[in-house]
Amino acid sequence: MSAVASCRAASWLEASARARVAGLLDQGSFVEFLGPEQRAMSPHLRQFDLPRAFDDGVVVGRGLLGGVRVFVAAQEGRFMGGTFGEVSGAKIVGLLRAARDRAAPSPPDAVLLLLDTGGVRLQEANAGELAVSEIIRAIAELRHAGLPVIALVGGRAGAFGGGGIIAACCTALVISQHGRTSVSGPEVIETNKGVEEFDSKDRALVWRITGGRTRILSGAADRYVRDEIAAFRDAAIALAGLTPPPFACETLRAAQTRLVARRERNGACRDATELWAGDGIDEPDQVPDLTEDAFIALLSARSAQHDRR
Amino acid sequence: MRRWDSARQARDARLSAASGLMRGKQVRPDDVTALLEAVIRPGDRICLEGDNQKQADFLARALVQADPAILHDLHVVQSGIVLPEHLELFEAGIATRLDFSYSGPQGAALARALDRGRIALGAIHTYSELFARYFIDLTPNVALIVARQADRHGNLYTGPNTEDTPTIVEATAFKDGIVIAQVNEIVDSLPRVDIQGDQVDVIVQSPTPFHVEPLFTRDPAAMTETQILMAMMAIKGIYAEYGVTRLNHGIGFATAAIELLLPTYTERLGLKGKIATHWALNPHPTLIPAIESGWVEQIHCFGSEVGMDEYMRARPDVFFTGHDGALRSNRMLCQNAGLYACDMFIGATLQIDLDGNSSTVTPGRIAGFGGAPNMGSDPHGRRHASPAWLKAGREASDARSGLVRGRKLVVQMVETFGDAMAPAFVETLDSLALAERLGLPLAPVMIYGDDVTHIVTEEGIANLLLCRGRDEREQAIRGVAGYTPVGRARDRGMVERLRARGIIRRPEDLGVNPLDADRSLLAARSIKDLADWSGGLYRPPSKFRNW
Repeated sequence: MSAVASCRAASWLEASARARVAGLLDQGSFVEFLGPEQRAMSPHLRQFDLPRAFDDGVVVGRGLLGGVRVFVAAQEGRFMGGTFGEVSGAKIVGLLRAARDRAAPSPPDAVLLLLDTGGVRLQEANAGELAVSEIIRAIAELRHAGLPVIALVGGRAGAFGGGGIIAACCTALVISQHGRTSVSGPEVIETNKGVEEFDSKDRALVWRITGGRTRILSGAADRYVRDEIAAFRDAAIALAGLTPPPFACETLRAAQTRLVARRERNGACRDATELWAGDGIDEPDQVPDLTEDAFIALLSARSAQHDRR
Repeated sequence: MRRWDSARQARDARLSAASGLMRGKQVRPDDVTALLEAVIRPGDRICLEGDNQKQADFLARALVQADPAILHDLHVVQSGIVLPEHLELFEAGIATRLDFSYSGPQGAALARALDRGRIALGAIHTYSELFARYFIDLTPNVALIVARQADRHGNLYTGPNTEDTPTIVEATAFKDGIVIAQVNEIVDSLPRVDIQGDQVDVIVQSPTPFHVEPLFTRDPAAMTETQILMAMMAIKGIYAEYGVTRLNHGIGFATAAIELLLPTYTERLGLKGKIATHWALNPHPTLIPAIESGWVEQIHCFGSEVGMDEYMRARPDVFFTGHDGALRSNRMLCQNAGLYACDMFIGATLQIDLDGNSSTVTPGRIAGFGGAPNMGSDPHGRRHASPAWLKAGREASDARSGLVRGRKLVVQMVETFGDAMAPAFVETLDSLALAERLGLPLAPVMIYGDDVTHIVTEEGIANLLLCRGRDEREQAIRGVAGYTPVGRARDRGMVERLRARGIIRRPEDLGVNPLDADRSLLAARSIKDLADWSGGLYRPPSKFRNW
């Protein structure tokens, strides 16, 4: 029963956005900007007779991470799927711009994005799409200024749509087994291309294609952690302490070269197990069912780490 | 001179009409439709085996392709209307009459077909009731059944999903009917014999394995704090109060939450070994943590559950298993066990009226009945005592004569608002309007109000045993109906008096703090946790994975 007892540690998947922020940062250090008492709510949802949230499903603020000053934004995946709306998007854009401008009194040395999102909120899609674009631009500006922007993905909604693009634009991505990233979600692919192309009900398949284990093995994520808030915290502290690679043409060219090579190597694969077999993993079918200990051991035994950025 | 073996002669004639298609007892898959046209006759009662779990799906597809000029006016007598083919039989004019129990996924299509007059409906039965009628006035002429394996003599191995098969075969084979089985494979020797070969006339190896629906898996990840609160109240206010050891659970999330609170919250209350030890229950994955923690003595199962086979094989002290090691389920016997040998049924419903009658019929949808009407009824034929049964009986009794008989605890557990904020409490069940529209002589009622002993909502527990008279029952129900229109129309003074008498109990009356109702109390918070609890023996189907 020890395996079960250990999974009782505070779970990232189970936690609310606020609980994640509280557990991620140094205890008591979080100061929220535009908190729920300000009632900055969506002006659109009421027209659809949908419930609103006092924080529009995003928590933004500043705090300390292992003593380092950080800005943090956390999406609440259980409110409207953590989607980017007019207000929720603007809160993140504003936070990133304040970080870029080294806003007083506590200019940050890193930014943490706790993504938990299905993408743009359909009820306010234009504002949401604009917000995603503005966030991507702000991340580029932050990286150009030398600040690490770290994405953490392990919530129920994953990081899909614009959230998937944003995750890929960050300096580093931390992911857990339950975390998923992609641009088009499984239901979207099935709707457009048919169930033969992608069966969104086959959840084992969904996780084999988009899940944390696949993403870390393919080099699309940088750190793989257990589904524990403390594990996300440890990974974030380690990444915030690294000097990010220069956000310059040679870094992007290297990434492009790596991606082209990956597509040439794997373009014909139909499932992640084929990638893993091609990568020399014994018993690729077993990868999803390995215990966390066994999977983490497998990762550390793999010498060739991808230089993701 | 009357002939006394006309049915037997008819059976022989039918089988010889099909003899050209058979080699021994085997028929090729491509010849099955022709075989069915040869052995079935217009007007026959047929059972196309399918319940809420396994399906004779290949035989269903074959029968639908029959020529309606040859096969027509069939009378379908089977527990489940679950596959689209079951209704296509009526659309194609092959079948016209129907007696059944459960329709689950076809509930809406069935209602439409009834509306259009495609089906002459006999009745919507409980399982036990339909099986009983198999032996009295609805005996099948031909049964199309399903098993995992057959040998060349027609012996069948059903594996863990035995379910309805022995009952269907008993009624059909011993009354000169014809039994046709689809199997996944034909082998030289079987792991065990679930159905004797001399009761089976035809076997066919289906091109694809039969379908089984995982109906009893509730994902702990979807459990809400409201459901956990209700579970805490039920444990303290009913399980502990009556000392319920023998019971059946429905398939709702609130009862699944109870299962997941046994090794945690309930164990801390010191109740281990005192409650919930003996079960009539499908193999619920959410019971794994309680089993692993030593809560459960034994479980008899109606059917199996996808992914649970290896777990149950490894826990024969708990489950009924064959000498081959695999589970043996049996729906009719388990229904009987749940009716007579359990002291409590607890389950959910969609609508409850002011008398406590409940129904899962909603406008345009006939889901039929699962086990609930049988499990959730007080068996007047019971004659053995138990503390829980006697305590319930004493509460209901005015005991003027000193003669007390026991009562089964029948508990309905509902959130005051259901899906899409539909109120669970109503003045009139939708079932009544539906019965009127379709001309049904009997409105479908899942559990009659006079069988219900307790209603649990997030607002509290109403003990209907202690109510005296219709007014008290009505106010007890309104008193836990929350902010639904029924709840808001309560008589506040009377509700407070009922609470003072312990007929209505709020969380605080039970020593339950709603703020303690937290997902961290659950022994498993995901399907993955359940798989971990089982030591990897439980293999959840893909639709429930999030890894």
